[in-house]
Order: sequence, then structure tokens, then C-alpha cells
Amino acid sequence: MENAIEVRNLRTHYGNIEILKGISLNVPKGLITAILGGSGCGKSTLLKHLIGLLKPTEGNIIINGRDIAGMNERDMDEVRKKIGVLFQGAALLNSMTVGDNVALPLREHTRLEGSTIQIMVRMKLDLVGLSGFDKFYPSQLSGGMKKRAGLARALAMDPEILFFDEPSAGLDPITAAGIDELILRLKDIFRITIIVVTHELASLFRIADHVIMLDRGEKVFEGELDELRASDNPRIRCFLERQAEEREYTPEDYFRIIAGD
Amino acid sequence: MKTDAMEIEVLSYRGIDVLKVYGDIDLYSSPGLRKNLISIICKKPGTLLVDLSNVSYIDSSGIATFVEGLKNMMCYGGRLKFIGLPDRIREIFSFSRLDKVFEIYDGIDQAI
Repeated sequence: MENAIEVRNLRTHYGNIEILKGISLNVPKGLITAILGGSGCGKSTLLKHLIGLLKPTEGNIIINGRDIAGMNERDMDEVRKKIGVLFQGAALLNSMTVGDNVALPLREHTRLEGSTIQIMVRMKLDLVGLSGFDKFYPSQLSGGMKKRAGLARALAMDPEILFFDEPSAGLDPITAAGIDELILRLKDIFRITIIVVTHELASLFRIADHVIMLDRGEKVFEGELDELRASDNPRIRCFLERQAEEREYTPEDYFRIIAGD
Repeated sequence: MKTDAMEIEVLSYRGIDVLKVYGDIDLYSSPGLRKNLISIICKKPGTLLVDLSNVSYIDSSGIATFVEGLKNMMCYGGRLKFIGLPDRIREIFSFSRLDKVFEIYDGIDQAI
């Protein structure tokens, strides 16, 4: 299996705190990889490294054969043209119509004629079920529609790799299931490599081909869904069975923490 | 004409214009394709054949370019016909339901 992304020994810090602790992983080409883990496990930080928004303290991030870890911004911009990202809040520009939001990357990065771009915008909006909404402003859309509009913009440049940051967050179960179906269609029809950062188990079991689970900045699992289900790792079992985490420190530790010692 | 990873050849077969495309039709080569397509359509041919048998990849900018070409030809009753679609491209046309709008034929003789 060919890999679209390979991460080797990735370490990163926020100040003195080590957030990612030497992670290595592979993202297979043309499949859906889910990056899983509880809040604060480092999955969003990992995503920011994969799209080049953060630079690691140490390690390599190889996308289509090129290491982006030490890459300058100019080269990184070329890599980003092949990447689409749907951010958690959709990140639409509120002062622009939905159509202009989708057209923006095409106007910025290509020499396509306005007439071609307009057709492409209508194609992308139709793909995400938003035909006829090109003149709407983001404030006039529901949460699910904003996500779809954000996805249309992420697809504008026909990316080879598409990242989703918590695509179901804040959506009702039916709308969330609709986003999952859309993700599956994108994989099947366009053979895009898809990376989904999530902690939604229903979504995970519906869409993922390959799973990477993080816990406290470390990779605790990488493999297929069946292997994840069969794992006897207590951290994985806790997560899959939705068990609350036990406090790991003593009353004396707790006193030291709140006393600021 | 060569545009990045794409080449275009304009031929005539039994008096019908044939636009033969080679390589990848993507965001960077589509403007060149559009320029050629529109310059032929400006002469209002009754039929224009587009041969995609040597195209390895087409993205949404390429599809949009052909949609624009067809729209322009429909204005005067012209016909845009496609021949030699590789399976992968036929799949993409089919997914976007454009296989119902574009006239698609296996070969040049079936198309004329």
C-alpha cells in the first residue's frame, strides 16, 4: 500500500510542555484515515503539523515524497495547493458570499477565467448539496450548511489530500451522518486521500479504513477498525466503551496542584 | 500547442473539426484548453469532436471548460461530441451526470 503521508519521530512542544512525543505513522493513499483520541491528546496539534501550520521540534513529515517539516513557506504553498482542509468552524469569510468563498482559492492560485471558475463553483456546491446557495452569506446558513460550504471551498482546487477537523462537531446526528456519507463519496469517486480528526465513535466506525489513536501525545494504536475493536489496551477500551478517566493522583498531589506548589 | 502537462492537436476528419487532447487536463492546463476550444467554437462549427483517448487525468476545471464549450455551442445549435473516453474519465462524467448531457461515443466513426 502506497502512503500519501509518512510521519517519523514527530516531537513538538508548546513552551516547555511536550505535546507530541515522537510519533511515527503512515497515511495510506486513497483511503480514509481517522485520527482518534480524547480532548487534549494532541490530535489537532498533529493535524496542524500535517498541513504545515506548525513546525515540529523534531522529526519528519513526508507528503508525496517531500519532507515539509523544514520546508520554507514558498515551497509549502505549492504543497498546500494539493491539500484541502475543512476546519472545525468551517472558517468561511463572513463578508463574502458562499460562492465567492469557494471561488477564492481559484482566483488566488490559478489563471482560470471567471466563467470557468463560476461553473466550478456551481459544481462544488452541487457536490455538497448546496446548489442555489452561492449568493447566500455564511451568516444565513445553518451549522451543517456552513460545514458543507467549507467543504466545497476545501474541494475548490481538486485536492489530492483532504483534511477534516472534527467534521461532526456541533451537528445533529442526521446532519453528521450526511457529512459522513459525503466523505465516503469523495473517497469512492475522486479517490482522494482523506484524514479525519475525530472523537465521534459512530462516525469512526462508519467511514474509517485506517485508524490512528493518540493518547497524551503518544500513538497508542495504528491499524484497521477490526484490530481497534479487538484491542485489549486499557486506554483504547476506555475510549471505545466511553468510560470516565480515573484520577491518577493522590489527595496529596491534588493539594500540591491547587496550592500552586 | 503544449501547456504544462497537456498538448492539443486540431485535426479535420471528413470536414469535421477534431480537438485531440494529450496528457493531463488540470487547473494549470485548462486555460490553454479553453483558449483552443473557444477559438474553434467562435467559428460556429456544426459539430466539434473532442478526442480524450490520450488524456490520463481531468479535474473539475477541465469539466467546467467543456461545460462552457457546450453551453456556447448550444446557443447556435452546434453539437459537441466526445470520443475515446478512458474508463476513469467516463466514471467522473457519469458521477457528475454529465454523461447524460454530453454526447459520448466510443470512436470517431460512431460520432459522425
